[in-house]
Amino acid sequence: MNVRHLIRGGVLLVLFALGLSSPIFAQTSDDFFNPEVLQRVDIWLNETDWSKLKAAFQENTYYPADVTWNGTTVYNVGIRSRGLGSRSSTKPGLRVDFDRYNSGQQFLGLKSFVLDNLTQDKTGIKETATMRFYTRLGIPAPRETHTRLYINGRYSGLYGLVESVDKTMMGRVFGSIGDDVQNDGYLFEYNYVLGSPWRFTYEGSALPPYKARFDIKTNESHAESTIWGPIEELVRRVNETSSGGIEQAIADRLDLPAFVRYISAQNFVADFDGFTGYDGMNNFYMYRKEESSQHVLIAWDEDNAFLQADYPILMRIDENVLTNKLLSLGSYRTQYFNVMLESADSATGWLRQEMQRQFDMINAAMLEDTVKPYTNAEYAADRETLLAFPEARITYVRCEVAKQTGATRPSGCQ
Amino acid sequence: MKRPLIVAILIAIAAVPAAAQNKGKRGFVWDDRPTIVFGEDVNIAVTGRALVEWRWFDPDIGEELFALRAARLGLKGDLTRHLDWEIEREIGVGDLEEEDDSRIEFGEWKDVFVRWRTFDAARVKAGRFKIPFGLEQNTGVSELDFAYRALGSRTIAPGRDTGVMVSGELGRFGYEAGVFDDDGDNAVSSEIQFVQEGQDLENVGPSFAVRVTGDLFRALPFTGRLRSANVGIAYTNSDVPEGLNSLRGESFWGTEDFFERVYVKGRRQRYGAQFDWSPGPTSLRAEWMQSREERNEQSNRNEDLSDFIANAWYVAGTWLVTGEDKDDDVNARRPLLKGGPGAIELAVRYERLGFESASTQGTPFTNPRADYLLPNSDSVVTFGVNWITSRWTRVIVNAIHEDFEDATRTPVPGTSSFWSGLVRLNIVF
Repeated sequence: MNVRHLIRGGVLLVLFALGLSSPIFAQTSDDFFNPEVLQRVDIWLNETDWSKLKAAFQENTYYPADVTWNGTTVYNVGIRSRGLGSRSSTKPGLRVDFDRYNSGQQFLGLKSFVLDNLTQDKTGIKETATMRFYTRLGIPAPRETHTRLYINGRYSGLYGLVESVDKTMMGRVFGSIGDDVQNDGYLFEYNYVLGSPWRFTYEGSALPPYKARFDIKTNESHAESTIWGPIEELVRRVNETSSGGIEQAIADRLDLPAFVRYISAQNFVADFDGFTGYDGMNNFYMYRKEESSQHVLIAWDEDNAFLQADYPILMRIDENVLTNKLLSLGSYRTQYFNVMLESADSATGWLRQEMQRQFDMINAAMLEDTVKPYTNAEYAADRETLLAFPEARITYVRCEVAKQTGATRPSGCQ
Repeated sequence: MKRPLIVAILIAIAAVPAAAQNKGKRGFVWDDRPTIVFGEDVNIAVTGRALVEWRWFDPDIGEELFALRAARLGLKGDLTRHLDWEIEREIGVGDLEEEDDSRIEFGEWKDVFVRWRTFDAARVKAGRFKIPFGLEQNTGVSELDFAYRALGSRTIAPGRDTGVMVSGELGRFGYEAGVFDDDGDNAVSSEIQFVQEGQDLENVGPSFAVRVTGDLFRALPFTGRLRSANVGIAYTNSDVPEGLNSLRGESFWGTEDFFERVYVKGRRQRYGAQFDWSPGPTSLRAEWMQSREERNEQSNRNEDLSDFIANAWYVAGTWLVTGEDKDDDVNARRPLLKGGPGAIELAVRYERLGFESASTQGTPFTNPRADYLLPNSDSVVTFGVNWITSRWTRVIVNAIHEDFEDATRTPVPGTSSFWSGLVRLNIVF
């Protein structure tokens, strides 16, 4: 080895070290949402604005701020209070928009992200555990992890760090065909209309009722008939067609296998506020794929998962026109139960371990969080309850599916 | 239907011919307006104005096509040789198609003042009146060459406020200097001040204003007709409380902000310069004005930001094609009521109002706390024809073209150019 080799080796070593230490080379959005890492996000905003945001936490007013993560600061982003029942004056849920004040500004390819205040989940991990479980099952779901949030240098609580369901995420989920990223479709956020629970009943040919329930998030400038017409058509076909003809009537409007997979998995995790929720449909996005009339559901907001292990496996399926008609067909009913069993298999060994890992990761941050609306004792109690869920649920589901399908019941069934 | 009734009454009053020369008369007389004369220097006159207009927009910006822009009634008079006074109030202004007009609603007070005028060198005015900043802003609506004042005159010039002012003439120069309670109607704070526990509310103002005007060219031996030109400079200074309380850029019709308010705290200063020249039947007017507002402790990290700056200017020219002299009170040589055509005037104005930050370092943002603010401006050309039918009535036809620098911040985002037009009937006495 001569001097030249030594120099080359030294240079390579230095470059390698720089690569490891410099965020510029290493950071991606996968790092930002890395579920194995408890992140630290710093938000810097004028003290007056922070006070105003907390005082007017029910409003969606944007405030300018700077955001720092892992040594990188993004200046002049927009933040606002967010949520429905989770809104809080002491620990506001936040939406961070990188492009609020400069349409071209992004961070790690992201236009925005969400800071879930975890106020409705005393365990702090229901949402993150569910989304990770959905991803294992191949259901489109946002990437998530946890973060310590610092406001102007002060620790302001444990938050969920949640990928926004937007055009960027659609590109990630649906990929590219050649150079064409498949994210130019129509993305809708389902809007729960307070006092008007909806279970897929036909609301007439006029578009306003559908417009009220499905907030358009992409292609907003297109004609209303182009945006909401296909939804009206889907709902009309579901309601006007008998159960026997439902597949033929709507298969080109809704990705039926994906839909059944989604509602089955959602039942497995015992979410009582989802597609077949206690007060009608709630908490999902719907995407009409690019140059297609077919819709796919995207998971969102699973804070209410893991209600109880013996949550009935066909809970409220019969109350929703779509799920009732579709699952009256033998093939889709079979698929529904198969996905339940697949979920049970996937959860076996993994779900409890994942929950424990997440608890270990967030525990100190949760205990130090003095603005959360529950005590550390309540957190500890719910944590133990949640850790007991997977085993009991897996057994219950296997037994109930066997009961429904006439298969041999596994041991341990009551 | 009270508002159309008000307009009809004002038209009727304005249509009364100025029949009598009333020198020395007492009791009710017509002296440009209905007046009761009690004595040589004691009288009360009724003043009024109604501005009705029909307009069109391309593209549509959601404005009504027919509106009563202003209806005001007032009283003015002399108390003695030394004192005069004036009060004026808005009545039921708005879009005529809008609501049930079953009763007359009074709007805001306009001028409410008393003036001591014993000495030309120092007159004292107290009450509510226009802060002495802006040539066009301080020109009465009956003397305006266009239906609407330039954007700068409506935005940067402060307008009316309550205060005390001394004014007078000293040789070729005139001066006005006053102190006012706030900072003018055009600079009203938008945001109720957010006060945290233990903090006190801060007030806008008081503001100080001074303007000096003069026939500067008269002193020069070589300026010829330019000797009649009047020039002036003006300055105001006030404190602005913390909040989204800066000046803002409204589009010509006021339907949208092309530059939204930013967070300010500290001092607001205005600088102005004006030029006014009316040789024969023509006129040339120009103004430049700038406001600078401090943004102390307003960054995302509570640090000082660079000043927020608004710049405006306009140049306007007119020509009375019927040959009358252009002065403050154009009288038609052959009034319409005496069988003539009235006076006809052509007018054109080019103006610009823009907003920016003093800092231009880095990437510009629309963020109201950004150090480098993404600039935007509105450039407007107005073509006009004024038909002055009598001393009290005129018809104004204006075609207006707006062009915004940033097409995303306009009345119709994505569209940067707008045409609009109006036909306005002015009745003022």
